Amino acid sequence: MERTAQTAPARQELGERVRHIAGREITFDGEGFLWDPHQWSEDAAVALAGEAGLKDLSKTHWTILRFLREYYFQNGRSPLNRQIKEGTGISLMEMEALFPGGIKYGARRLAGLPNPRNCI
Amino acid sequence: MKKVAFKINGRLHQFIIEKDDVLIDLLRKDLRLTGVKQSCDRKGQCGACTVIVNGKAVRSCLTKVAELDGAEVITIEGLGTPKNPHLIQEAFVLAGAIQCGFCTPGMILAAKALLDKDTNPTVDDIKKALRRNLCRCTGYKKIIEAVQLAGRFLRGELTPGQVRPDPKHGVIGVSHPRPSAMIKACGAAEFAADIQVTGAGELAAVHSPHAHALIKSIDTSTAEKMPGVIGVMTAKDVKGTNRLKYIVPDRPILCDKKVRFIGDPVAAVLAETREQAVAAAQAVNVEYEPLSVMMTPEEALAEGVLQIDPDRPNLCFTQPQIRGDAEAGLAASAAVVETDFSTQTNHQAPLEPETCVAYLEEENGDLPTLVVIGRSINIHYHMSMLQDAVGYENMRYEEAYSGGQFGIKIDVTSEGLTAAAALHFKRPVRYVPSLMESMWLTSKRHAFHMEVRLGADAQGKLTAYAIDFTVNNGAYSSNGTVIVNRALLMLSGSYYIPAIQAMSRLVYTNTTWGAAARGAGPPQVNYALESAVDMLAEKMGIDPLEFRLMNILKPGQPKSTGRVAEQWPLPELMEAMRPHYHRARTDAAEFNQKDGVVKRGVGLGTGSFGIGGPGDTATVAVELDPDGGLTVFGAVADPGEGNDSMLTQIAAHLMNLPMDKIRLVTRTTDRTTAAGPAAGSRITYMLGGALVDAIHKLKTAMTEVNAATSEQLRAAGKPTRYLGTKKNEDAGPLDPQTGQGPSFESQVHAVQLVEVEVHTKTGEVRVIKMTTAVDAGRVINPKNLEGQLEGGMDMGVGFALREIYIDGQTKDWVSFKFPTIGQSFEMETIIRETPRNKGPLGATGVGEMTMVPTAPAVMNAIANACGARVRDLPATPDKVLAALSLARG
Repeated sequence: MERTAQTAPARQELGERVRHIAGREITFDGEGFLWDPHQWSEDAAVALAGEAGLKDLSKTHWTILRFLREYYFQNGRSPLNRQIKEGTGISLMEMEALFPGGIKYGARRLAGLPNPRNCI
Repeated sequence: MKKVAFKINGRLHQFIIEKDDVLIDLLRKDLRLTGVKQSCDRKGQCGACTVIVNGKAVRSCLTKVAELDGAEVITIEGLGTPKNPHLIQEAFVLAGAIQCGFCTPGMILAAKALLDKDTNPTVDDIKKALRRNLCRCTGYKKIIEAVQLAGRFLRGELTPGQVRPDPKHGVIGVSHPRPSAMIKACGAAEFAADIQVTGAGELAAVHSPHAHALIKSIDTSTAEKMPGVIGVMTAKDVKGTNRLKYIVPDRPILCDKKVRFIGDPVAAVLAETREQAVAAAQAVNVEYEPLSVMMTPEEALAEGVLQIDPDRPNLCFTQPQIRGDAEAGLAASAAVVETDFSTQTNHQAPLEPETCVAYLEEENGDLPTLVVIGRSINIHYHMSMLQDAVGYENMRYEEAYSGGQFGIKIDVTSEGLTAAAALHFKRPVRYVPSLMESMWLTSKRHAFHMEVRLGADAQGKLTAYAIDFTVNNGAYSSNGTVIVNRALLMLSGSYYIPAIQAMSRLVYTNTTWGAAARGAGPPQVNYALESAVDMLAEKMGIDPLEFRLMNILKPGQPKSTGRVAEQWPLPELMEAMRPHYHRARTDAAEFNQKDGVVKRGVGLGTGSFGIGGPGDTATVAVELDPDGGLTVFGAVADPGEGNDSMLTQIAAHLMNLPMDKIRLVTRTTDRTTAAGPAAGSRITYMLGGALVDAIHKLKTAMTEVNAATSEQLRAAGKPTRYLGTKKNEDAGPLDPQTGQGPSFESQVHAVQLVEVEVHTKTGEVRVIKMTTAVDAGRVINPKNLEGQLEGGMDMGVGFALREIYIDGQTKDWVSFKFPTIGQSFEMETIIRETPRNKGPLGATGVGEMTMVPTAPAVMNAIANACGARVRDLPATPDKVLAALSLARG
């Protein structure tokens, strides 16, 4: 059993992180999601995809990413998986395979959609 | 078996029953009369299951069906319907006596039994008749007023139509009944346990009896063979991370390697009935290896003790706050108070158990949707947490009607286990935890220990404030860091204090885990500050009201974070309170001339509560409907505050529509905006603000193309749906070294005046009256506002005098010391309405405000009565006597 050294950590896991991506500053939360969806660009999506191991974004990838963003700005939230399927005509299993990390940690992150917020 | 025949709501039924069958089960399970509620594990403590039997109010959980042959039973469903309500139901709605609605059916039936005998009862008669019915939301004041109003209706002195506000007289600033009030009054609002789920298995959990232990083995073999058991699950059966990550991923749905507090869940049983599940859960054999237990921060911070969390030290978060040179300020002060204060771990105590339902909804040829129905106040965030924890993304969260929450639902509770079980067993699952289980499954208000020094110059102006506070985080993090930050964000309370020196520490222990509780941090630190303010005023021989007035922050001066306040309409509240204060002081002086053992005292407390925190963002959508109405889309939880009123009245006002043309879609992740939590008193300010913005965009579009209808908008190529946002642009964390940085965009202010009587031989304290003066900006619905103030005062007095959660000991409403109607006191509210510059229609929030200054006001009143300064909440009689003894030397 580990024994504790009684020192407090710095502000771990809590803060936002600002990174330079595709020529602009973008703020990310602790899970790598954009804090502000307006900071997103297609170039940023390509750069983030590269980091995730996706060398190219296919037409199908872009269909999903554009649907996600359009839905977000229309509805004020990310679509549920079922709604992505209805909106794009692509099955959930296919979408899960297309994006490393799946829909939530792959597609939604590349689309620049923020996480839901907890308390302030 | 025995056959009995009796009438229920006028219809004769015959039942063949077991001799021990109780009425609540017959009504809820067999007849699905779910207006009958249960909260207290059938101990007869809550009154939520009250029905009328032969003209008398009885608790159906204690009533044997076998004894009812020939009886006449009336449930809430037999009283009236939303379209044809009984006059008592009308009275409860019109009096503003209904908040979460969980206690309401029982209250109304208890009132009916009284009013059937006497249509003109006294307040004491009402208190006696309703003495067995608990309410956490209202502080009982409006319930008493509702019974009185019902009496007037029944006596024919008044009709509901004469009381109901006429929309012609305006929408904003008028107490229109809540949209949800009548269905709650009629028992028709379905809470999670009321929803019929065909084929649902019932879940029961196995909880740790140890505060800290390794799990050596779990033997489920006996339980699996027991009658009705569908299966048993342990941590290995949870397919996701098995960690509920609010901020850090430390809380398991089911513990895998070790348990960290009494009540930690270890395994779960699904069975055909709840009784079978509970019996099998007791047969699960868990072998533990006890570890050393650290119940206090002092124990957890000792050198060489075990680390409770594998990834984080016991001292898991610190944050200083430094502004100016507090040491120099204190050294130069004419007077300094130096002392320490402690607050207790406390339960938020919503009446409804932590009930949840989950099932898989079939999709055509694709993955089914996991639907979770629970009590969340942040459905989008909680769904995201659940997706990771149970390893399943295709999910929907629906908020059922919720029987109060007061911060407890800031985090996921029973939904984790329910969702995981639905996935594992591939069966619909209902989890109705007992009251004790609900206490184990949920967070508590953090206990604080605070060492303070407060100084003032010779003129009585505050010079410096130093505070070191240590927070018992309990076994898991939840939003502990948020609580600490909120305490720092509001550290200087209502005052301008030139120099601040603070250090905060958050410490893992083996107690129940802490999280949000009405006020969430500020009630604890404000108790210390407001007590110290009174002590300093006394030391300097200055009247506490005048001392406060001369130190209140003025617009342009900084708060403890360094951010300058734009508005601070608190002096006006102090002036409004002044005549009440002097009247109370005079009354107390006269009373105390009697020289008896009971002493009367008067205490003040102030509070300035931030709303719209750093970076807070909210989004709401509106859509113009084909019939000219408006639908509002937003995950705006309403566990009792009246957020449905707020949205409806703002929208009706701005669109110039009748209120029944405003439709709200707020309870499902499928159709709502991700609006953030119903927490931090933020809903009116943030979501109301987003609604104003959305309607502004809609109206702008309508004006641009001269459209009056959705059809005309569409014909002109304009959308009919618009998204509104509200954002505090002052964003980012506090500086890690200085605690300086962004702050709240708005504040609600209050002054509390408490009059108490202290029995100097027994230490008993009785609150006689509380007067609160509040400025929450423009008022949208006065009765809803008052309801929040009154409920907060009652809860604040419970926190001050009685309530405490002790691991392993607190198990029900009696051991928790839930405030009753018998302990309720006279309340008076003074409302001022200074429009807030950035608030929707000038409004700000109010839900937590009266929780903040109440406890220190009560403590100051006790000290004023007899000299006893209680520095350790709750001020139970033994502590009052000890403080009195100390004061007398």
